[in-house]
Amino acid sequence: MDYLKEFKINLAYHFSEVLEYPFAKPYWIYVSLSHKCTYKCQMCGVVKILKGYELQTKLIKKALNEINSWNWDCVVMFTGGEPFLREDIFELINYSVNRRLKTEVVSNGALINKEMASRIINSGLQNIAISLDGAKESTHDLIRERGSFKKALDAITNLVMTKKRMNTGPQISVWTTIMKENVQELFEIIDLVKELGVECLVYHPVIVAQDDMQKTSPNAPFWISDGYIKILKEQIDKILDYQSKYGLVAFLHNPYLWLKYFESTLTKKDWKCNPFVFLNIGPDGEVRSCGSSFGNIREMSLDDCLVSKEAFNARRTMKLCQKPCLQTCWAHPESNSLLDIANRFIESIKDNKDKTKFLKETIKILEEYENLLISYKDA
Amino acid sequence: MPELKEVIISITNRCNYKCRMCDIPFQKSKELTTSQWQKVIRDAYLIGAETIVFSGGEPLLREDIFELISYVKNNSMNCCLTSNGYLIDEECASRLHNSGIDVVNISIEGPPQIHDYLRGRGTFDKAVFALENLRKYKIESTIATMVSRYNYKYLDYIVELAKEYKATTIKFQPFNRIFLSSNCSEGNFFISKREIKRMKDMTKKVTWLCNNYGITTNPRRYLEMMPLYLSRNHFDSSFICNTLWISCPINSQGEIYPCWVLTQKDKLIGNINQDSFLNIWNSQKHRSVVEKIKKDGCPGCMMSCYDENFGRDGLETRIVTNVKRLQKEGAFEYVRRILKRWGRRFKFYNSYRGSPRQAFNRLRGLFKKKKLHKTEIDKEEIDKALKEIALIKKIFEEEIRCLS
Ligand SMILES: C[S@@+](CC[C@H](N)C(=O)[O-])C[C@H]1O[C@@H](n2cnc3c(N)ncnc32)[C@H](O)[C@@H]1O
Ligand SMILES: C[S@@+](CC[C@H](N)C(=O)[O-])C[C@H]1O[C@@H](n2cnc3c(N)ncnc32)[C@H](O)[C@@H]1O
Ligand code: SF4
Ligand code: SF4
Ligand code: SF4
Ligand code: SF4
Repeated sequence: MDYLKEFKINLAYHFSEVLEYPFAKPYWIYVSLSHKCTYKCQMCGVVKILKGYELQTKLIKKALNEINSWNWDCVVMFTGGEPFLREDIFELINYSVNRRLKTEVVSNGALINKEMASRIINSGLQNIAISLDGAKESTHDLIRERGSFKKALDAITNLVMTKKRMNTGPQISVWTTIMKENVQELFEIIDLVKELGVECLVYHPVIVAQDDMQKTSPNAPFWISDGYIKILKEQIDKILDYQSKYGLVAFLHNPYLWLKYFESTLTKKDWKCNPFVFLNIGPDGEVRSCGSSFGNIREMSLDDCLVSKEAFNARRTMKLCQKPCLQTCWAHPESNSLLDIANRFIESIKDNKDKTKFLKETIKILEEYENLLISYKDA
Repeated sequence: MPELKEVIISITNRCNYKCRMCDIPFQKSKELTTSQWQKVIRDAYLIGAETIVFSGGEPLLREDIFELISYVKNNSMNCCLTSNGYLIDEECASRLHNSGIDVVNISIEGPPQIHDYLRGRGTFDKAVFALENLRKYKIESTIATMVSRYNYKYLDYIVELAKEYKATTIKFQPFNRIFLSSNCSEGNFFISKREIKRMKDMTKKVTWLCNNYGITTNPRRYLEMMPLYLSRNHFDSSFICNTLWISCPINSQGEIYPCWVLTQKDKLIGNINQDSFLNIWNSQKHRSVVEKIKKDGCPGCMMSCYDENFGRDGLETRIVTNVKRLQKEGAFEYVRRILKRWGRRFKFYNSYRGSPRQAFNRLRGLFKKKKLHKTEIDKEEIDKALKEIALIKKIFEEEIRCLS
């Protein structure tokens, strides 16, 4: 039955994108809990842009309820600011997990001591990500704050140890932002992370301005410009080599695209985001994918945000995006072409006994869409 | 009894400058040793202090200063240092960084000519250089400014400077006699009555600018009071000093007085050479000295380390201040003044956010339900999609036919 579900989801994202109408619900839902943070990282705009905003517990729960009612395969990602600065964070995680939503948290690790670690491990999260921006203490500390490297490592160790002791728990992963300051250490991070016992490592390239993700420029801070591109290439070679042998690193797109990204030659042909795949809820309650806001959950429901006029306009702007941002999980390449979706489906059920039944089932689904579309056309 | 928050240590009287407003460098004193200071820091931690401030003299002239800073940090307290900036070159900044210091406070008196006049030739560049180096090593910097006749016109310059060098705080402090020994003349630091208005405008501007740039500065009331104080008019000290318990000064010889101002012999609480800080702080003598000040009242001061007296203060202080005012002015005048102030505030709001009607409309907008929008899907796109679906259906049907 899983093949069918996947087929359905892919279809929904595909039609959403070509017809610009939300047949599908978002897969990644980032809930930015608070502007507050223990650090003031150099590249991070959250603390600066969203100063003073924090979502009320009530509002978050309301949004989670709504997400739950969609009955859609999605991931709730708590981010911030620093999520663990919120006193009610475990209450929220609990609330989300109890509704069987896949829940993840990104943190800088500053507050994860032993006690906190065991609470996290037992919370039912699916994934906990710690940000690590360098393999050397000096690099990480320069980007973030003095002492932050040690704290991040401590956090990871605490989590790994507790997980070992408990024998269950969330996947423990590390996120690394690729930028000029750490480009020479990207590969070294693997060693470090492996030694610590981390299960997954994700790289994503830096965004220059978080209020406007399309704003890129070679002289911006953190940007990997001419001289460093070569280094980045060497690093990618090594990382890919390692990944093909031992795994650990997770890619959602071809890492050589990073080169194009930093050379500012990346186009929609290479990589494009699907606006329907991800949704951000800011600490100010504004709902958006990228660019302008769809609406505010203080004023309207999440569903209404998704179909508001603003949402349509914002998505149209995203469709015209000239400088794709390559943020890891915001694309959905599986749903780009209908033909691909169909072929992949046929491929996946090749050896199945009930092949005919499956195929008949899919035709039914397609017919449903057909009727739906015709009804839209007549209306 | 409020708890101890910060200990201000004047670690040495030696200094590499000879500023016109300060003769600390000429007051010779016998300094404490490293281990004695470490004991003090440890005791401060035990009492519950959160912050240790090193001042002087020029604290960076102490060879053991980095060691002491690290010691403070190892005892998990915040550490802050006040300096004229002369010695903070890149190497020093990196050592400061490594020692773990939280904040470095640089004294800047105004534009280059004025700063150099008060502190010596070339000193302005040194101070700015220090700010630069601190920023390079990501050490939070703050600025301290002594306000006097020489620089009151240029206070906004300091704010702009702070903005440029990303200093987080500016503390203004009017000229005070206490940094001069008694036989020294006061010179020309005070302002004349005619200049009061001009200075008031300037302090207002400073408050406004700081708010705008997100720079912390002294409480508003403190800044408002400064012009009167600097013109040597008597100033309104209608508060009980509520920083006495919170902040504790220790001078370079290890003497502890209740505050930097009240340093008469009879107010001496103790000396580090004779007893430990812990014992002195908890002693009967300490209690009685402070109680006595509370009873007799104190002349009041405008030292910036005690500026919390002027704002951000506890409810108690505010009530006392208002009751005293009421007694002095009489009810009619008191109410009239308050109404006038509210009137001004309203006017300001009006000019800033538009008329009340506009404000009301904005508020109403918040409660209005937004109309939802259902777009029509592009007909052509639908046709295309239908064609695609038909194609896929055909593929699947073909597949089924192959199977059977
Ligand atoms: C905004 S943080 C919030 C969670 C938490 N405070 C932390 O630092 O992990 C989420 C992630 O975004 C990354 N990030 C911050 N600024 C970025 C930028 N300008 N471009 C790309 N990623 C960035 C951080 O490294 C972190 O992994
Ligand atoms: C005495 S200094 C000690 C630290 C260091 N040597 C320096 O100059 O910053 C501390 C602060 O007191 C200020 N100051 C000096 N003489 C003063 C006076 N007569 N009245 C008020 N403040 C004064 C200085 O501007 C400086 O910001
Ligand atoms: S810790 Fe995370 S949220 Fe905080 S400033 Fe750094 S990147 Fe931004
Ligand atoms: S690729 Fe998509 S998410 Fe990224 S900047 Fe462009 S529109 Fe925004
Ligand atoms: S103000 Fe500071 S730098 Fe100037 S003489 Fe006094 S202690 Fe030295
Ligand atoms: S107001 Fe000034 S002089 Fe009076 S006790 Fe407080 S610090 Fe000392």
